Amino acid sequence: MSDTTLSRRAFLARTSIIALSVPMILSASTQARAAQAQRAEFTTLSAEEAAEFAAIAARIIPSDDTPGATEAGAVYFMDTVLSGSHKDYLPRMQEGLIGLQALAQSRYSSLTYHTLSTQQQDLLLAEIEDEEFFRSMRFMTIAGTFTLPEYGGNRNEIGWKLMGFEDRHMWMSPYGFYDADYAAKGE
Amino acid sequence: MAWATYPTREEVDFVVIGSGSAGGIMAKELSSAGFSVVVLEQGPHLQPGDFKHDEWDYTQNEGLVWGSRKGHPQTFRRYEHEKAQIVDGAPLGYAHNVGGSSAHFSGNFWRLRPIDFMEASVLGPITGTNFVDWPISYEELEPYYTKVDWEIGLSGVEGPWDPPRSRGYPCPPIPVKSSGVLLERAAKKLGLTAYPEPHAILSQPHNGRPGCIHCGFCNGFGCEVGAKSSTAVTMIPLAQASGNCELRTGCTVSKISTDERGRASEVVYWDENGTEQAQRAKSVVLSANGAESARLLLLSESASHPDGLSNGSGMVGKNLMFNGSSRVAGLFAEPVNAFKSVATTRVIHDFYSIDPKHGFYGGGGIDERSLSRGLPMAAAMGSGLFSGKSWGKEYKDAIATEFSHACSFNGHTTSLPLSTNNVTLDPDVKDKWGRPALRTTFMNHKDDIATMKFFYDRSMELMEAAGAIQIEGRFSGEGQRGGVHLLGTCRMGNDPSTSVVDRFNRSHEVPNLYMVDGGSMVTSGRGQPTMTIMALAFRAADHIIQSARRGEL
Repeated sequence: MSDTTLSRRAFLARTSIIALSVPMILSASTQARAAQAQRAEFTTLSAEEAAEFAAIAARIIPSDDTPGATEAGAVYFMDTVLSGSHKDYLPRMQEGLIGLQALAQSRYSSLTYHTLSTQQQDLLLAEIEDEEFFRSMRFMTIAGTFTLPEYGGNRNEIGWKLMGFEDRHMWMSPYGFYDADYAAKGE
Repeated sequence: MAWATYPTREEVDFVVIGSGSAGGIMAKELSSAGFSVVVLEQGPHLQPGDFKHDEWDYTQNEGLVWGSRKGHPQTFRRYEHEKAQIVDGAPLGYAHNVGGSSAHFSGNFWRLRPIDFMEASVLGPITGTNFVDWPISYEELEPYYTKVDWEIGLSGVEGPWDPPRSRGYPCPPIPVKSSGVLLERAAKKLGLTAYPEPHAILSQPHNGRPGCIHCGFCNGFGCEVGAKSSTAVTMIPLAQASGNCELRTGCTVSKISTDERGRASEVVYWDENGTEQAQRAKSVVLSANGAESARLLLLSESASHPDGLSNGSGMVGKNLMFNGSSRVAGLFAEPVNAFKSVATTRVIHDFYSIDPKHGFYGGGGIDERSLSRGLPMAAAMGSGLFSGKSWGKEYKDAIATEFSHACSFNGHTTSLPLSTNNVTLDPDVKDKWGRPALRTTFMNHKDDIATMKFFYDRSMELMEAAGAIQIEGRFSGEGQRGGVHLLGTCRMGNDPSTSVVDRFNRSHEVPNLYMVDGGSMVTSGRGQPTMTIMALAFRAADHIIQSARRGEL
């Protein structure tokens, strides 16, 4: 990515005084990029759970003229953390999914959620949006879309680009419109 | 010079418990004066290169601030008749690493002013509170504030409201951000004065450390170049260089033992392998922060100290204060990009003391911040701030502009000391070591809430004057449920029946025990206590060194 290269060069130029720290930082960011290698297999979630969670995530942060949770790979993030730091979430999310599937069955006679139309999917989520399962799904979807990419989500920094955020080691002023204007007017 | 090493069975001059804002200073001052020092720190010794821009780990996985996920559950309740419940995360938040919370703070360094030390005399008592004067004055602390400026490393410029100072700042202020410009222009319109926020973050090289590179991962994160003036990069390297200090990390203290004369004799702890150890010492400095120092004194109960060590007054753990807060967020037409650089660059101190004619006690400052500390994940978790939607297309559209086009004006305010706001030992919940968990009981005094509301109202006026398109605000009208400024729990005073330490941070009850951290603060200040915690540490160290040189260890 050209922006990253540019910022790294600027970073090196400005901070030669801290030569000791720079190799450590660069090495850390190289490792992070290597770890970002994109997987296709799931190790924690079953194929059905992955399809269902991905479909829910796609309604929370939908893809339209810009990419959403699907392209960010939020479900791969879930697959990573649900067997690691947040494995305590897994049983309750699995249980919550069974509840949602029961609702899909009673409302639309469907055994699964992801096979419903997006309109039906939205109506079902609206029914459960005050429930613990929805809050967990929202939490995991957002975390997976905006996380540091080494956890498997936020692929190609899709989430960050959506928000106008860029992860750099260094910024120089002006940072935004108003401080540029302030400097221009000599305030 | 390498770290010193001392056998546990040999009596060292000092054991310092904790290596944070106060402990790091105590370690450096005492070891540099030639005394043997062992520092016990729960967390690891992270180096600048270890700190990452990893929001998931630091904010959701207890990377620096440990809670239930790391085996350190805490419980919370409003009132003493209620049963406290385990709370996710850490209601009393502090970083577990060398440098303590100075590694992850936002570095806003406000001195107290002369009025803070004698406010109770000036305003009169406040019924139902323990609001009293400090036993020391601003003039007594001023030389140590200046020591913090230069030895810790501050950036700033003397403002119109500053108390008298004996020397200027070593570094100029951090450059203003768009959010700071919005606050400054709004202040001008309303006849108020915004001036550059003083920081314990270097704007240019000082004492061999580099200036800030404005990466934005500041509040809640460690500095990857060492520009943030944490004790981990300012004091600990000097303690090491003294040749008289041993730093033991991964060490969790279980008890301070006393001998038959009632003096602290050894500190019992689990080392990094989980093996119980006990370090003998001539004196003990407890700098574990305003929550953990009180907890450790309570845990150190014995037949001769049935209510906990140094607790003859019954004041250990009481008078817990957090500083109040309020926040008003505004959405602007043009990019603000508040996620870049330090947390805040302008501050308003026109309301340092609210006129008593309003009918309540309080005061504070207003500065400008990014939403959700400028963190993309946190912003998205809370977003839909202006649209009201929390998922779906409208939500997605909202977060696409809110993150880059918004900032907030935040109030940082006084808290009153109350006996009923305290830390105690939970009777049921245990931590991973089997120690009773930290239990917090807290409900703000009504004046704390009135002050938060006052600052919320002023921030609303400022945000309107700043020209925000949409405005949303909040404050803890129902009372705060935790905090990161942990103050008042080992208060300083001249009277042993109403305070825990004397005017030099020495225990009234155990003559070779010193409590040096936010716990000794008598009142809360206006919202940024760390500079005062550090100045008190330099002052206590100065006094201890003089006593020790007279052979009074």
